[in-house]
Amino acid sequence: MISVSHLTRRFGDFTAVDDVTFHVEKGEVVGFLGPNGAGKTTTLRILAGYLPATGGDAKVAGFDVLRQSMEVRRRIGYLPESVPLYREHRVIEMLQFQARLHGLARDVTKRRIGEVLEKVGLVDRQRDLVGHLSRGLKQRAGLAVALLPDPEVLILDEPTSGLDPLQRIEVRNLISTLSTRHTVLLSSHILSEIEATCPRVIILHKGKVAADGLQSSLVHGPGHVSHVRLEAVVGADAAAAIALLRSIRGVRDVVDRGRLGIHHQFDVVCDEDLREDVGALAAARKWALRELSWRRPTLEQIFARIALGTRDEVVPPASAAGANPTAVSRSPATTTATGASTSTTNVPNGAGAERAPAPTAGASLPISSAPAPKKIVYNLNPFDMGAARDLGKPKAVDGPTPTAAEKRAEESAGG
Amino acid sequence: MRGFLAIYRRELAGLFYGPLAWTLLSLAFFANGYLFVFFLKSSGGDVDIAVRLALGQSWTFWALMVLVPPLLTMRMISEESRTGILEFLLTSPVSDASVVLGKFGAATTFLAVLWSPVFVYALVLGGLGVSPDTGVLVGGWLGATMASALFCSIGLLTSTITNTPVLAAFAGVLLNLAIVIAPQLAGLFDRPIVLEAVRRIDVLDHHRNSFLLGVLDTSYVAFFAAWTALVLFLTVRLLEARRWK
Repeated sequence: MISVSHLTRRFGDFTAVDDVTFHVEKGEVVGFLGPNGAGKTTTLRILAGYLPATGGDAKVAGFDVLRQSMEVRRRIGYLPESVPLYREHRVIEMLQFQARLHGLARDVTKRRIGEVLEKVGLVDRQRDLVGHLSRGLKQRAGLAVALLPDPEVLILDEPTSGLDPLQRIEVRNLISTLSTRHTVLLSSHILSEIEATCPRVIILHKGKVAADGLQSSLVHGPGHVSHVRLEAVVGADAAAAIALLRSIRGVRDVVDRGRLGIHHQFDVVCDEDLREDVGALAAARKWALRELSWRRPTLEQIFARIALGTRDEVVPPASAAGANPTAVSRSPATTTATGASTSTTNVPNGAGAERAPAPTAGASLPISSAPAPKKIVYNLNPFDMGAARDLGKPKAVDGPTPTAAEKRAEESAGG
Repeated sequence: MRGFLAIYRRELAGLFYGPLAWTLLSLAFFANGYLFVFFLKSSGGDVDIAVRLALGQSWTFWALMVLVPPLLTMRMISEESRTGILEFLLTSPVSDASVVLGKFGAATTFLAVLWSPVFVYALVLGGLGVSPDTGVLVGGWLGATMASALFCSIGLLTSTITNTPVLAAFAGVLLNLAIVIAPQLAGLFDRPIVLEAVRRIDVLDHHRNSFLLGVLDTSYVAFFAAWTALVLFLTVRLLEARRWK
């Protein structure tokens, strides 16, 4: 349905899209993922016939987007990020205008307007002025306009941008219902949107395709391993515990992540969820458990690795700042955060694990005797300041401001 | 054609949805009416002269012609480019030329309406027994509309160049002013070749020496049509060129 081959677009010296190639089959829902400036919008604009490409070919439904632009435009419904609608028009007037642009017959127009209004849930608001609609309703109106000619291909540029969480869910659900009838290509820099909506993901980075495939194949690709995290009291002989864990059927490797107080932490690398087997072993050996969790790599982490060029392990802020201070103090320079990652979605990374060698039992200090951990703040949005920022250097913040009484006490002590 | 009609209808409706069109119409109707009475008095009751003054012989007519078209067209492309609506239009199954012609047609229609009160004046005067010459009346209105079309196309051109409507209006007013005062400026040079060149492209002269005399000369019609078509062609090309920037 969509065939893009060696697509390139330059703006002066800047190459926004650089030799991009991908194919989308009929009925697929494909998510374009990438940080701001990755080339998502430019690619979508080329496909929609708004921008010409500097090089390469792009075809929609077998028609060249440049040479047979009109044929392509008749077959696509395009919703730009800005949701361009005339503010002074009513929703129904905007739909009638779109019908006239596409040359729909009167009876077809009437039927389609009813259908799309029903689909986007704007039947009650069809007489409202577009300028009076909320951002979410405006987004729905934009979708209705794009859907009106019943296009074969739907191109949506950041359809949930600027919406509140509830509106996002609404639009996301709406897009999910569209996939049965249309080939959908949508872009977003919000990973959760893509994860929830698109089975197939194309990750763009600096104008190039950095990854392309089904989410399931991407997250289970080379270098992206799942594991069971085990934190338990195993006694002094960690090597024996590792040997026992390795003996479990299905275990590919066991990474010793060192000692945390009286507990020892292991990552049992495996393709399937082996928590029951590991738990059974722990019970048999009478290991006191503190954590037993199944962790799989997320698209978000893979995306962060591509976009930020990091191979470091992702450590959740909560465990880094408070619950697990020794883990942070062990290798703060090798930690980074990738958005709303939770403790159950962390993934061990070979490189990260190597750079954070497990301390020997004797070298690790009990938590009580360790110096008070410095508060570390991780920015949860890795895209807000671009990839140039060194996320490996956590930003330290001062502690709470001393009260006046404390200040006086300090002065008197000093004086 | 389908796309042109769709955009023409939308633009015309869009003009009247906003306050600008109503304000301009109100002011222009008031000014036209007041000035027509003034012209009628100053011409000693000669209705043909009054019609000619109202439709091209007076500086007030050209002042409106310089100011109103750029104010109408300033937002048509520049504002839509800024808000993204142009992206919507240019990805619809209509040609760039249809987009430009639709907007141009709407602006020109608005100005044709703006000059149309002369027909009401003629009716009133006809009721009083002093009808103006039909040729002068219709010719004057047609000439005014054709000159408006040229000025609207210039306004659209400036609106395509910049994304700032006010700047587009300012540039449009300057260009229109240059066209209107070109004959006076050419007189300063006192060079036959300059005078001849300016005479050939003198919009005021072409309007006054044909349409306002009640004569529909095809060469004069072609003069306005050709210049308007040239400016519209440039506008379409500029619109296409924006995609390559």
